Amino acid sequence: MRIAIAALVGVLLAAGTSFGVVQLANSSQKDPVIKPMYNYGAP
Amino acid sequence: MGKRWRHLVAALTGLGLGLAALGPGLAPGFVLSYDMVFTPDPAFTPMTFGLTGTVPRQVPSDAFVTALATVIPSDAVQKLVLLAIFVMACMSAASLVPSPRLLPRLAAGVCYAWNPFVAERLLLGQWALLLGYAALPWVVASAVRTCERGGTRRLVRALVLAAIGGFAALAMSGLVALVVALASSRSRGGERVNGAERLKGAVRVVGIVVVLSLPWLVPGALRPAGVPGDGTAVDVFAARADTPFGVLGSLLTLGGIWNGETVPRGYGTPVLAGFWLAVVLGSLFAYWKWCREPEWRRGAAVAAAVGFVLAALGAVAPPVLRGAVGLWSGFAVLRDGQQYVAPLAVVVAVGLGVAADKAIGARFPMIAVGAVAAPVLLLPTLAWGAAGDLRAVRYPADWARAREIINSDSAPGDVLVLPWALYRSYPWNHGRRVLDPLPRYLHRRVVVNDALIVGRTTIPAEDPRAIALALAAAHPDSATLRDRDVRYVVVDAETAKYRPIGAVPVLTGPDLAVYRVDGAKAGHEDRVPAAPVIVAWIAASAVVFWSFLIPGTTLGLPLLGSIRRRSPDRLPHHSRRAP
Repeated sequence: MRIAIAALVGVLLAAGTSFGVVQLANSSQKDPVIKPMYNYGAP
Repeated sequence: MGKRWRHLVAALTGLGLGLAALGPGLAPGFVLSYDMVFTPDPAFTPMTFGLTGTVPRQVPSDAFVTALATVIPSDAVQKLVLLAIFVMACMSAASLVPSPRLLPRLAAGVCYAWNPFVAERLLLGQWALLLGYAALPWVVASAVRTCERGGTRRLVRALVLAAIGGFAALAMSGLVALVVALASSRSRGGERVNGAERLKGAVRVVGIVVVLSLPWLVPGALRPAGVPGDGTAVDVFAARADTPFGVLGSLLTLGGIWNGETVPRGYGTPVLAGFWLAVVLGSLFAYWKWCREPEWRRGAAVAAAVGFVLAALGAVAPPVLRGAVGLWSGFAVLRDGQQYVAPLAVVVAVGLGVAADKAIGARFPMIAVGAVAAPVLLLPTLAWGAAGDLRAVRYPADWARAREIINSDSAPGDVLVLPWALYRSYPWNHGRRVLDPLPRYLHRRVVVNDALIVGRTTIPAEDPRAIALALAAAHPDSATLRDRDVRYVVVDAETAKYRPIGAVPVLTGPDLAVYRVDGAKAGHEDRVPAAPVIVAWIAASAVVFWSFLIPGTTLGLPLLGSIRRRSPDRLPHHSRRAP
């Protein structure tokens, strides 16, 4: 059980870290304006 | 720790990963991204069952969502489905690791639920494909035992999620099941299985997959315009490099999706991609060296190799794939080849779990903990709605008003959607591309131009009604539209730019405009006959129902039970619960 808790805590920490990274990256970004408007995507 | 507790911890870990990945997408509203379209109050329409003559890619996943949405709100259905993908992916991969230890199982589960494949397909909105992906480890474990007592039922249950996903998910899962059945040479007890038995298993797999495919196979085959297969799309949907390691290296690291816009931010930078490549190579080495699972070890490895070749085919040898599609349009299922790296993801995940198990055995538990956290740390931008790309939005008020007007009108005629294109980058969806939701949002026959624009390439339209209306859509006037049985024209982007001449404006808003064409007749088109489709649904549903016809079982337990017991000799044969 201890290992399970450690693993869960590890995953949560990893998720927290990634959340922090993303928030930092997002803080300097605006909504993407994708052009042209009607494409499915681009290779 | 007991077996059920191990599954529970894996499920909770998957839930944690799902919550972390979806982030803002869990807010009230809908996540609309590329192919992922959920709408409020969806209804069963002929399109839901592929009867309108369009290619039935939405069958039966739309019916599944619509059925669930009769019980709970459809935005909650979307969140439920997306979270379930993470939970089941983590559980299924964890259950495949041949170790009773929890940490190695979690390493496999986390790796399988959090990797570039999941991130890219999620951003591309292919939740239906991911449903099949989530259950793929169960398919691997079941496909090898189809000839055993209860084996056919077990495989049907393992394939149910892929069957719900539809065309792409079932093609991928069915292929994996077939290869595993053919290539696995050992039975549960480790005895050699002869060729005849393997062939028998493969025939059963094909039979199951065909029956489960009937809901989309029948309307697809009876489609008046035939099965489309455009060779030009081979180049467009071929795998591409999203790391510094080229196309093959990108596929090996479980990325390489055709659409450059759906690569998670930051993925592919040399440092992160390099570490991730090291994890993948290390996992493959561990799988080859230490995975001693007798039943499916070889089958899963062959499936991964076959999948990798198929994934690379469009990029490495496009003329071969173009020729195959030209020969039989059914080969078009191989155009978006990157989806076939899914079985490689199974092998990589199990390999990582096996490596973690080995590390614990060698008294290096911290390596195992590192293996659990590595996928998340090396792909941090999948978190928080893939760095904010997957956000829940609400449909504008104009949309609800338009639906009210159109649904309350009993006059016949179809709905034509302008601008004449399939995908949109609505400002209210933060500019994120999405398949036009109107065909699902409105309860009438909605005609959109289903030609695909990818970069500078246009893949021709497939819907005969859209092809017939193309000229009228280019110069819309009420007389022409009336002659072609169009009752409404809905403009859902750049509303000031499009106005059909002579049509009556009934709603003009900033996000949507609706024009009525008076005097239109009921739209006539060559439809798929309903009777064979009903029979197909009955046949597929009956098989699924039959597979669960064991007293005292639930959806989860039989699937979990399908995984081989670690010490089968400990239990007398008669006490093994048929999963």
